[in-house]
Amino acid sequence: MTALSEARLGDGDRRVRRVPHVRLGALGRLSERRGWAWLLLLPSLVMILAIILYPTGYGLWLGLHEMRLTRPDRDGFVGLKHFIAIADDPIFWLSLRNTLVWVVGSVVGELALGLAAALVLNKDLPGFKLAAALVLLPWFLPNVVAGNIWAMMLDPRLGVINDVLVRMGVLTTYRAWFAEPDLALAAAMAVEIWHGFPFFALLLLAALKAIPQDLYEAAACDGAKAWDQFVHVTLPQLRMIIVASVVLRVISLVNSPEILLILTGGGPGRSTQVLSLYAFLKAYKEFNFGYASALATVMFLLLMLFSWAYVRLSNVMRD
Amino acid sequence: MTRFDRRALLAGAAALPLAGMLPRAASAQRGALNYWHHFTSTTEFKGLERVMALFKQRFPDINVTQENIPNPEYMAKMTAAVVANARPDTGMVSTERSKDLVAMRALVDIDSRVRGWSRFAEYSGDAWAGASVDNKIYGIPAFTFVNWMYYRKDWFAEAGIAPPKTLADFQAAAIKLTDPSKNRFGFSMRGGAGGFSFVLDMMESFGSPIVVNGKPAMDRAKAIEAVTFYAELHTKHKAVPPSAPNDSFRQIMEAFKTGQTAMVMHHTGSLTEIRDAMKPEQWGTVMMPAGPAAHIARVSYLYNGVMNPRNVDAGFSWITYWAEPDPALAFLEETGYFPSSPRVASDPRIAGNPIYAAATETLKIGRLPVNFVGGAGWSEQVVLPEFQKVLVGRATPAQAVDAMMKGLEAAVN
Repeated sequence: MTALSEARLGDGDRRVRRVPHVRLGALGRLSERRGWAWLLLLPSLVMILAIILYPTGYGLWLGLHEMRLTRPDRDGFVGLKHFIAIADDPIFWLSLRNTLVWVVGSVVGELALGLAAALVLNKDLPGFKLAAALVLLPWFLPNVVAGNIWAMMLDPRLGVINDVLVRMGVLTTYRAWFAEPDLALAAAMAVEIWHGFPFFALLLLAALKAIPQDLYEAAACDGAKAWDQFVHVTLPQLRMIIVASVVLRVISLVNSPEILLILTGGGPGRSTQVLSLYAFLKAYKEFNFGYASALATVMFLLLMLFSWAYVRLSNVMRD
Repeated sequence: MTRFDRRALLAGAAALPLAGMLPRAASAQRGALNYWHHFTSTTEFKGLERVMALFKQRFPDINVTQENIPNPEYMAKMTAAVVANARPDTGMVSTERSKDLVAMRALVDIDSRVRGWSRFAEYSGDAWAGASVDNKIYGIPAFTFVNWMYYRKDWFAEAGIAPPKTLADFQAAAIKLTDPSKNRFGFSMRGGAGGFSFVLDMMESFGSPIVVNGKPAMDRAKAIEAVTFYAELHTKHKAVPPSAPNDSFRQIMEAFKTGQTAMVMHHTGSLTEIRDAMKPEQWGTVMMPAGPAAHIARVSYLYNGVMNPRNVDAGFSWITYWAEPDPALAFLEETGYFPSSPRVASDPRIAGNPIYAAATETLKIGRLPVNFVGGAGWSEQVVLPEFQKVLVGRATPAQAVDAMMKGLEAAVN
């Protein structure tokens, strides 16, 4: 229903302009209230609560309980029992050490290869758009598929890699890449680097495209050579994206045991067992969900600590 | 009651993130049921299709839907299904997993139905023991895996030696038939996934029990002797491929089929694969070699169980049908898997075939695999990695056995 409102036109002017306006319904009146914003946020908050906070909280809570599917009579609250056991568990410490080696090695390799690929693809030469699409191919492959492809390629008796290396004279005989404890983690890391470097290549390429050309021109005027331009222009401009992508990749690697599960199963002799794999095996081989959840909680805390420390140390937040 | 309610709540809550991983949940329709299995080969699928077709003829009102779960993930999926209360109607149950599945309440008690079943008396006590907990039966034997050894008949003939009957013969043959210059090794050792079962076999062959009356019973000295003997095939005699610490089923079979190894231990289930890949004069079968203390050869039944109480009648019809002569022989023809019923196994088509002679002999002395609550986790998470450590020189047999015994205490108690 249309009504008329009155509004003064200005100081000293006694005329009144009649302004038509819409009478508000219940929803309209509600939208005028301060709580309206919270109402609009409510669906998102419920979703966040349901799919992020609840599972996370439940996992933390489960870590304080005994829950072994094959021993249901022992279920119940056990407080910090699992965490105390973890501190005294040599397999945990071995898995933690392997996780550090696995994550640092993989991220450094992926970042280096991704940066190199991004720099090359940023040249805008003919055919590079197709090359950019091809570089991304490994990233499109699910971990399970990539793991199985490389398991076959690195197979000690039928694998093409051994055959090529022997024909090239690099090896004298076929090598059992995943049967030697000192080699197994490195071989798995090579597979992971192949699989993960497009993630960095894609993000860094996008960031490289966004660097203003003026900066390079100014640096060139100051006599900066290609290396100086890379160190003093490119890298600082990429810093933010490098920090963010490293954090994301570290989280992803710490939480994803698939490649190792397929290639080595954590062996031989636990030489490739990482924390996520240990938690998975505890849950699904021993059906010990309480202990597995406690392991997951420790991983969660370590990742939080890493992310906080890394972002702080990299000074990105000050920019 | 409170405990149950809380547990149900826990289970439901845990199920939320897991439910999406599950294959299609069991149908609630009367007369329709699903069946989870871990068949992998094309021959197994052909066998399953034939059994399903025959079942359809007999029970036209029951629609069976089969769902394949890869064997390594079977327990993970089953665990998720139990926690999510989305169990299949029926499913495959191996002897080694039966106690864990009962403990996690994945199987329906069908004891009274089984005891009243017309074919109940056909089976030996062992056949029921593999699927029994506290004297209650939870599964019907569908078919039998008889452990035996495949060997290169031509290589043994060339070397002038007979197939091994004892572990001492076996070791000597493995060493003699190894020739790295020809990329030939005596034995396909399974040191990767699934390899724990042969370690346990060796221990019992040397006289060390594993669990007796639910209590840890390993004999340290004999277990060390067994682990030393078995590991030395790799560490000392170099009679197995260098990849042994990571070789699982696929690798050991490929090594044998492609002419890299002279012997491989597996069960009757690989018969068709080897028969299809090799010439008849190249290979033969022989009983598992006898140890110094015992002749250990596993006869493990693969059971089918009812997993969801809402469709027990149709489920029971399906799982008992596998024991009928027609489906059992159809399955044998496609896969080489032995019928579970001794009466069906005495069919002339089996008893008169020399290729099955080693399996028929093994059936007379065969033992069930090691099976106790917590056994699967202990075998895979303690026995195998500790044995691998010995293979790669990161532990002595004594250290490995000590870790196994400690792990066994934790698993059983």
